[in-house]
Amino acid sequence: MTLSQFFSLVDIQARMALKADASRYFLGYIWWVLEPLLYVAVFYVVFELVLDSGRGDFLVFLICGKLPFIWFSKSVNHASGSITANAGLIGKIHVPKTLFPMGVVQEGLYKQLSVFVLLFIVVLSTGYSITSAWVWLIPVITVQYMMIVACALIAAVLVCFVRDFSMFISLAMIFLMFTSGIFWDPRTLSDPSLTETIFLINPLAFILDAYRQILMNGIPPSAAHLSVIALGSAILIVATVRLMGRWSRLLALKALTA
Amino acid sequence: MISADENTMLEMRDVFLNYHSRKDTFDHGVHHVLNGVSLKVNEGETLGVIGRNGCGKTTVLRVMAGILAPDRGVVLRKPGSYASLLTIGLGFKPNLSGRDNAMLSAMLQGASREKAKSYLDEIKEFSELGDSFEEPVKTYSSGMRSRLGFTTALMTHVDILLLDEVLSVGDAHFKEKASAAMKARITGDQTVVFVSHSAGQIQEICSRAVWLRNGEIADDGQPSEVLSSYRQFLNSMKT
Repeated sequence: MTLSQFFSLVDIQARMALKADASRYFLGYIWWVLEPLLYVAVFYVVFELVLDSGRGDFLVFLICGKLPFIWFSKSVNHASGSITANAGLIGKIHVPKTLFPMGVVQEGLYKQLSVFVLLFIVVLSTGYSITSAWVWLIPVITVQYMMIVACALIAAVLVCFVRDFSMFISLAMIFLMFTSGIFWDPRTLSDPSLTETIFLINPLAFILDAYRQILMNGIPPSAAHLSVIALGSAILIVATVRLMGRWSRLLALKALTA
Repeated sequence: MISADENTMLEMRDVFLNYHSRKDTFDHGVHHVLNGVSLKVNEGETLGVIGRNGCGKTTVLRVMAGILAPDRGVVLRKPGSYASLLTIGLGFKPNLSGRDNAMLSAMLQGASREKAKSYLDEIKEFSELGDSFEEPVKTYSSGMRSRLGFTTALMTHVDILLLDEVLSVGDAHFKEKASAAMKARITGDQTVVFVSHSAGQIQEICSRAVWLRNGEIADDGQPSEVLSSYRQFLNSMKT
């Protein structure tokens, strides 16, 4: 299979899945933006109306963190079961197993494009304006995409080998939701070194903070830190793709028999 | 891959395939699906593989198609040849329409987007699905599903055609039509491996037959001879 065939298949799988998904629901494509908004609404009720966050810009703060986080968590969660979910196809034809998680990631990317438009509308309509720092959204989104691809591929392989991993992956997403600073600000911790540590060991926390710094404060993120995350993700992607190529038939056997 | 003989399209040499089921790590958790299978498929022949359910027929095809790798032994294919496995009923995405599924199947077998699109009208026509072609596959009856599967499979062109029970398709009218289309395809220089538990079908279309029992080759030769020993075996089980 050539590279252009591969990407053509990834694209078509994603488009077909989106179309089928939309036709299943009464509200169809509206769910692309409605679902993330409902998540935001739930968090807003709990952390602002009930617990009182104590910051005037909480809605924008929350939405800047939550919408990119949902992109990550839903893509990885959904991709983790993608090889096993396609066992029927895998038993019929020898194809690169990366096709399935990549199809799911692509589906998430197409949805997220409209979610980003929504995010920018909310930010601009609440009194913020476009600054030169917004250019940095392009590398930040790109690096987040790379993180998603790396985690999606690894999760799909793990679940294919041992189904039990799907439990851990759902749990890991909840853990990340609490530790990545979605409804709390790592920058307001009393100990600044703790803030640094959080950004260092949790790349997702750094990425979510980068969105806020760009959109709310007009400050570009650390280019060096962003490059390190990009490099780390790239290494993981290349290594996992090569392993999946080598283990292609083993993955097929696991998908068919486990 | 290099094969020993000019006329050999595909050869399996002493192929073993096991897998572990569930948590058992000792031998009683291991399924021995293929136990030293050796067989040759010659260019242009139609080889029938017969055996009871669970004897390893589908696994043999999967190994031939390169979907699964043997644990021991080798599979040799004529250099540059491409084998494709055609099965029905499996591999469809239930939420996608018949059209989208057919398109995806064609592309997965190597067709470009444009080429895949060009097959669609023919597939719709032959499968006689009509307006249902645009409906999600989950709304199909099993007969409609297999008609779509068979037709999609029929449109692909490969060097070695591996068929898994595909002739047991649909109602009497479609079965006849499918049978005729498949026979037209099989005659000529197409190399075919055909798996079935129906002795009648093997007798009708195959030039050679192999009987697979518990992951081993029990007999290999003329269809009439292989089938008669297979029938004897079935009869001996009744008593």
